[in-house]
Amino acid sequence: MLCFVALFVFAFLSLFSAKYRPLAKRAFGCVLRKATLRPCEAGLDEELRAKSIAEIMRVSPRAAVFVNKHFELFSFAFTLLFFLSLAFTAQGVANFVLYGNCNGPEGGFCIYSELQNPALLKSPTTLQGIRAGNLSSDIVVFEFGCYVCPYTAGEENKVRKMLEEYKDRVQFVFKPFPLPSHPYSLEAAVAAACASEGGKYWEYRAELFKDQHKYSSQGDAAFKKTASDLNISGFDECYDKRKFLSQVEATLKEGKECGIYGTPTFFVGGKAFVGKNSADQAEAEIKRLLGRN
Amino acid sequence: MDFEKLRQDFPLLKNKIIYFDSACTSLKPVQVIEAERRYYEEISACAGRSAHLLAKRASEMFEGARERVAKFIGSKPNEVVFTKNATEALNLVVRSLDYSKRSKIVTTKLEHHSLLLPIIEQQRRGAARVEFLPATTSGLVDEASVEMAIDRQTALVAIHHTTNTTGVRAPLEKIVKVAHENGAYVLVDGAQGVPHSQVNFRSLGADFLAFSGHKMLGPTGIGCLVGREEALKELDTFIVGGETAESVRLDGVKFLEPPKKFEGGIQNYAGAAGLAAACEYLSKIGMGRVEEHEKRLAWKLIEAIGSIEGATLYGPKTAEKRCALACFNLGGVKHHQVALMCDSLAKIALRSGFFCAQPAVELMGAAEGAVRASLYIYNTPAEIEAFKETLGKIAMLGR
Repeated sequence: MLCFVALFVFAFLSLFSAKYRPLAKRAFGCVLRKATLRPCEAGLDEELRAKSIAEIMRVSPRAAVFVNKHFELFSFAFTLLFFLSLAFTAQGVANFVLYGNCNGPEGGFCIYSELQNPALLKSPTTLQGIRAGNLSSDIVVFEFGCYVCPYTAGEENKVRKMLEEYKDRVQFVFKPFPLPSHPYSLEAAVAAACASEGGKYWEYRAELFKDQHKYSSQGDAAFKKTASDLNISGFDECYDKRKFLSQVEATLKEGKECGIYGTPTFFVGGKAFVGKNSADQAEAEIKRLLGRN
Repeated sequence: MDFEKLRQDFPLLKNKIIYFDSACTSLKPVQVIEAERRYYEEISACAGRSAHLLAKRASEMFEGARERVAKFIGSKPNEVVFTKNATEALNLVVRSLDYSKRSKIVTTKLEHHSLLLPIIEQQRRGAARVEFLPATTSGLVDEASVEMAIDRQTALVAIHHTTNTTGVRAPLEKIVKVAHENGAYVLVDGAQGVPHSQVNFRSLGADFLAFSGHKMLGPTGIGCLVGREEALKELDTFIVGGETAESVRLDGVKFLEPPKKFEGGIQNYAGAAGLAAACEYLSKIGMGRVEEHEKRLAWKLIEAIGSIEGATLYGPKTAEKRCALACFNLGGVKHHQVALMCDSLAKIALRSGFFCAQPAVELMGAAEGAVRASLYIYNTPAEIEAFKETLGKIAMLGR
């Protein structure tokens, strides 16, 4: 049974080191024979068993006796777990490719995203987006964010404080980056742009971040209701016509060119900060730049 | 003789391994390794052909090695044929003997495949028929049936000196006597006997004796067929080629006298030098001392295996008739697992399976194979203690 696992493990290791190739070959021979209901001749399963039991025996002879007695059961369970975890990994990779997050449309912590390197991101070159603060300042803080992403919402309070504190010395540009893994993310970005046209962007933005679940689940009706509550004139027409869709798509394209793999992503003075606590890191960089100036 | 001290001559023992697989192949002392190295560094030419200085040195070295081996085994130099190994030597005799007047080969089921298979092949081809001397489940040849089996139809009696499954010797004195009374040749497989006991070809009385270099501290790729001068002349050619013929014309070939007749092509000169060095090494110790040392180890080994609950020892239950070799199984634990775990737990090298002697192992009652521990001059009682302790742990798995 173990030779099935051994084939996958040794075949993978063989990609990196030639010393595992003979083992992978033996495992393959064993799997081939087992698949055709013949006994494994390679002796690999016996070797793996003996070595595993020997290792357990060093620690606890009693445990070795127990494992040896039920070895077939253990190896069956181990093989099953291996293939289950392999299936989950494959699903995670597929989700990552399709939705940009290994958990799929629901989002959440994703190890693949964590493994990505912010140092490889490229700073944006245009000021297109929602601008605030001192528009003539040389110090520009870019934020790529998604209105229905919980991580973007998590940093929002710090962003507001940052804006308040540095509004005279720093220029702030928000670039919508709607993640496809979150429902209605694109619509949220279009709605925020319409609110901006109606002169109530920051109020509308605050509402979006306050209850993201409402917008992700109710969609159009929720966006319009909020606009109505805020008395934003011309919102429904703007929203229905998707007036600012091309602008949103442009910042989305720009974000992809920058290599954005998660939101929020801040750029300050060419340095990128991604995900949780990224606003604190961005502020630290602002302080450093202001201190130098 | 300080057997502890001679362990320093074996580089592999510095790795703290316990090598109990000498019946498969022995470890090599530095003296043997050095002899092989010297050939390649200082000579590296072919013997008996060219006339330059290096070629002359090669001839001297090669013939010197033949003399050294002959002295070790108690024969004349021209009775020593260098072969690739014992297998080739055994094949040479079994396949080159004339079976036109006498067609029977007498052997036993205790033989190594290297002897058994050429005999079975001769029968399959219709060249000879085989009769097996009865053997007991303890791996002993039934002496009483020797006279019955060997008769005037017998061309060859082919038998082991010492088995590789139980380490027990065959009753060669009686077999040789009865065979010669009936005009049959005797071929002795000395692959296990020559490395571990005092074997003198002349005293043995056999017509042919085959052995390997690599089981007696020598290099791999070299073996010997020792044959009485008259008996060697009776054999037909086997592998022919360069330096086996005196003159070669398309209408007739005149072959050289043995041993050259059987040494076709470039020989394993380095191997011969290494084998000579191994003979020298063993002679310095003295084969009598080797036997005594192994007998002590054999007693301790049998005792160690016997003390393990659930262990089945094959062959005689005492060490009197054995060299330091024992086959066994542990109840409830597969033989391969025992060998692999000994390796993993205590770096003890053992062999498991049928040891190229399937009929013999099955006859002993180990239908699926067994574990074999085979010791040599470099092994110690302390190593057997470690082996016993490890076996004790592994035996728990079967309870």
